Amino acid sequence: MMETHVSRYGKILLAVLVAGILISIPWVTSNYFVMMSIRVMYFGMLTMSLSLLAGELGLVSLMQAAFFGIAGYFVAILQSRYGLPFPIPPLVGITVAIIAAGLFGLLVIRARGIYFLMLTLVLGQLVWALASQWASVTKGDTGIHGVYAPVIFGISTEKSKTAFYFFQLIVFAGIAYFLTALKRSPFGLMLRGVRDSETRMAMLGYPVALLCYSAFVFAALVAAVGGVFFAYFTGLINPHSVSLTANVETLLAAILGGINALSGAILGTGILKTLDVVLSGVTKRYMLFMGIMFLFVIMFAPHGIVGTIRKHWDALVGPAADWFGFRRERALAAFLSGQGSSSQSRKRKEGEEEKED
Amino acid sequence: MAKRKMGLMLVAVLFLAVGMFGTAHAVSEIRIGHIGPTTGWATIFGQGVLDGIKLALAERDYKFQGVPIKLMSEDTKADVEVMRTKLDSLKNRDKVHLIIGPSLGHEGMAAVDWGARNLDAPMLIGYSAPEDITMRKAAFSVVRPGWTGSQVIFHFGKYCAKELGYKKVIIVGQDYSYPWDQAAGFVRGFLENGGEKVERIWHPVEAVDFSSIMAKLMGMAKEYDAVLNNSGGAQVVGFFKQWYQFGLDKVYPQILGQANVPIVPMLSELGDLALGVYSSLHYYDGNPSQANVKFRESFKKAYGHYPDVIAVQGYDAVHVAFKAMEAINGKVDDSKAFIEALRKVRMSADESPRGPFYFDKYANPVQNIYIKKVVKRDGRLMNIAVKTYKEVSQFGPYANMAEKYMAAPATTRSYPPGDRDSYFKEIEKHFGKDYVENLKKNKGWVD
Amino acid sequence: MPLIVTFSFLNGLTLAALLFIMASGLTLSFGLMRVVNLTHGAFYMAGGFVGLSVLKFSGSWVIALLAGGFVMAALALVEERFLLRRARGNDLIETLISLSVAIIVGDLVLVIWGGYPKTIAIPGALMGVTRIPVIGLMYPLFRIFMLGLAIVLIVGLWLFLKKTNLGITIRAGVDNFEMVSALGINVRRVFTFVFGLSGFLAGLGGVMGGTFMMLVVGEDWRILALTLIVIIIGGMGSLGGAIIGALITGLIYSFAMAFIPQFSLFVLFLPVAIVLSVRPQGLFGKEA
Repeated sequence: MMETHVSRYGKILLAVLVAGILISIPWVTSNYFVMMSIRVMYFGMLTMSLSLLAGELGLVSLMQAAFFGIAGYFVAILQSRYGLPFPIPPLVGITVAIIAAGLFGLLVIRARGIYFLMLTLVLGQLVWALASQWASVTKGDTGIHGVYAPVIFGISTEKSKTAFYFFQLIVFAGIAYFLTALKRSPFGLMLRGVRDSETRMAMLGYPVALLCYSAFVFAALVAAVGGVFFAYFTGLINPHSVSLTANVETLLAAILGGINALSGAILGTGILKTLDVVLSGVTKRYMLFMGIMFLFVIMFAPHGIVGTIRKHWDALVGPAADWFGFRRERALAAFLSGQGSSSQSRKRKEGEEEKED
Repeated sequence: MAKRKMGLMLVAVLFLAVGMFGTAHAVSEIRIGHIGPTTGWATIFGQGVLDGIKLALAERDYKFQGVPIKLMSEDTKADVEVMRTKLDSLKNRDKVHLIIGPSLGHEGMAAVDWGARNLDAPMLIGYSAPEDITMRKAAFSVVRPGWTGSQVIFHFGKYCAKELGYKKVIIVGQDYSYPWDQAAGFVRGFLENGGEKVERIWHPVEAVDFSSIMAKLMGMAKEYDAVLNNSGGAQVVGFFKQWYQFGLDKVYPQILGQANVPIVPMLSELGDLALGVYSSLHYYDGNPSQANVKFRESFKKAYGHYPDVIAVQGYDAVHVAFKAMEAINGKVDDSKAFIEALRKVRMSADESPRGPFYFDKYANPVQNIYIKKVVKRDGRLMNIAVKTYKEVSQFGPYANMAEKYMAAPATTRSYPPGDRDSYFKEIEKHFGKDYVENLKKNKGWVD
Repeated sequence: MPLIVTFSFLNGLTLAALLFIMASGLTLSFGLMRVVNLTHGAFYMAGGFVGLSVLKFSGSWVIALLAGGFVMAALALVEERFLLRRARGNDLIETLISLSVAIIVGDLVLVIWGGYPKTIAIPGALMGVTRIPVIGLMYPLFRIFMLGLAIVLIVGLWLFLKKTNLGITIRAGVDNFEMVSALGINVRRVFTFVFGLSGFLAGLGGVMGGTFMMLVVGEDWRILALTLIVIIIGGMGSLGGAIIGALITGLIYSFAMAFIPQFSLFVLFLPVAIVLSVRPQGLFGKEA
């Protein structure tokens, strides 16, 4: 019933549209909106790192904020305390986060499902305890202040929010592209294979442990980049950024948006961080609202907003497109609902689950 | 057709002209933004300040010289990232003329950092007490009608050494910068006025079980004279409970408290366990002054419970703002003039529940410090003042060597050193031999 | 032996008692249902606050203790019957449901009882210190009572699991779930019972904790983290593991607080990391 013909025009049109919107934001919207976009981007990377593990591997990690924070702390310390110039603090921060992921990865590598969740919860707490108690380095619960965003090619991203926005946007787009490519690559396929049936993959000779381990490290990398921008933009960092609360909020955002799509991570983060600021001005029962929303989503729409839209896209758009009789609309709808090629649409007919971006 | 269009254009231009010039001379609305933790574990510190602000504004009918005042309150949830976002939104989206807040230590440090990057946004610090906010990191736009952790406790150290006669004291506290500041101030006052040693024990901010610390204190009872509880919030309750559970009240005299120990909400929870506790602060709820009595009674009427020093901060902040606004004739749009006026405000004993105060050149108050004790009057627990030190600045006894004080290392969990010999070596290095000689000659500070 | 060491040992032992009360329920519900009930910490806190209110109302600490337990048991039953059961089979979803209930309960506690720290008064009969035989030390009576209660609980649970039909069913279910349901036993009811029992124990723990420590919002996550440490070390599904895990955790916490309090939190997580790297299923757990 669905068109197998892919509209290349549709793809290009969409990409140009999205890029156009993103680029014009600093001039078309207010300073406040730009600031919110920046926030959504750095938290978005944290959420994407969780979505990567949860969506591709079925591993729900409650410690991604630890890697976010490790990178953030190194940036804060190296920039504000030792005055090291631009690329050094973030490079060191991200490297240390990756090494930490390498070490922690060894501990969690054999865990699956609930065990993995519990272990990462406790290890995340370990990092939090370190941040909170190693006061001589991290300044304990007070945290570190006075971090200034870098000057890049002569432009001060500290003074100009627009400049910071673009600096981050470029890196963010790069990360999103990298993750998309990862998901579509054979590596991504293998990960989903492990998620769907680990024993089968093992029998087929795939190095399951290595796959999980590398995915874990990649995810930490993504979170770490988010942490770098967090430290630069807010000018501070403290143990709250690696706390259990931070990890739970990340999980909430990932599930709300839908863990199987990158756009889900971004959407979920956007909604949560906006509610963060807007809702707490209206009611004190912010956490209650979040809890109920989370419960609702988990029980009735566990694939999140994006997942649910995708599932019912045919039901939503199909009849409408038919009614109008526009073929091009169908092709666009087909493209948007995740069918990138004819072979994929055949798999869909065979009843396979979620397709990725 | 063209004529009608021209007509519309003319009307539009006229409207615009009136709009632009009509508001040129007067501010139509004064917007004040409050920021602090009004949800979560730190609610009492944020909500308290807000309640004080609202009381003060209600007394003036939310108007200044006929101009309406709009109050907006933003919740930081004790999260500095959220606070920073809200500071930006208060300034850029809501365009407030004045920000009052925040309440917590780490919030305050982040706020002054933001203030240094937003020098056109007048800010009155609420309850935050780290000294660097108005010392090493001071910013032009940030004024603190509050206090610093060390400011209110320097003289407590002296009182414990001189009046209570203690020689060795243990300080048990939460491991973060505000208790470090309190311990540091105490160490200075104590060791420079006859004390011999201060032992500092730090525990995690959210410690649940103090039994091991109690055991340790029990073992130290032979050598040490008293214990100071250097924590706030829930940890105080746990500490006091286990103090009595382990029978430490039998080997030590009353507990000494830091500023957040015998505050009014704590007293109602601790009950008689808090009797006799000494502490020091720039305010005491038992102050019989007219300003304080009026403040307490109208607060009770408005909110149903008695206030404490947290609400005083909000209350005083509004009064300071009003005085400054009077000085600049309500032209709050001129942030520079507004800030300068704020820094020049003086409050008399009749105007503030805490007593008289004015700002030093770093925009922190010079005010009375009261040594207080918890007693029971008319069946109710309250703090009374057993001694008053007047006009104490954030530099305490070092007011005439402020630069030397700031050049000395900042407070950490173990600096300044707690034993007399190392301590005196340090102060000789940073404050000079003359200072040490004078101390020895006068046997401490001259009152 | 220096006083501080003896004291720390006793402190660790009595803290372990509380930790065991908390961990036993959690490990049983995990062993049987494969669900980590993240609401456990919220039940602890809410149970404590309920106990506080009941104490104010009735004046009896014992009634408050039981009330805290039973009210939480009721809440746990409701959670299991109406929420978790819908997602039966998908452990991850069930765990996340329990997480959201924890957030909801946490905020409700804030609404009802406020954010100020509170404490439950120690009942008169258990106040003060007493002399411990053999060691000859003066130690708080209430903590000894807590240790006693934990021992009673251990014996009670052991008897229950070994001797009663329900208990045997539970143990069988922990060992081999499919077989038990294939045998036609109404496993659903067993689940509900176990979940309710764990809620009861959490509420009980909350009243105990609120009595010798304090009650404040935020305690829920702290106690949850500690309990998770206990069952990770001890092994999920194993009651013996819960005992050993509680002892290890309690003792380390107490000694750390006595000698290196400013690193106590970090030191607490160290044994977890060690156990994980050597034996990921915990000391007494089964292969994952």
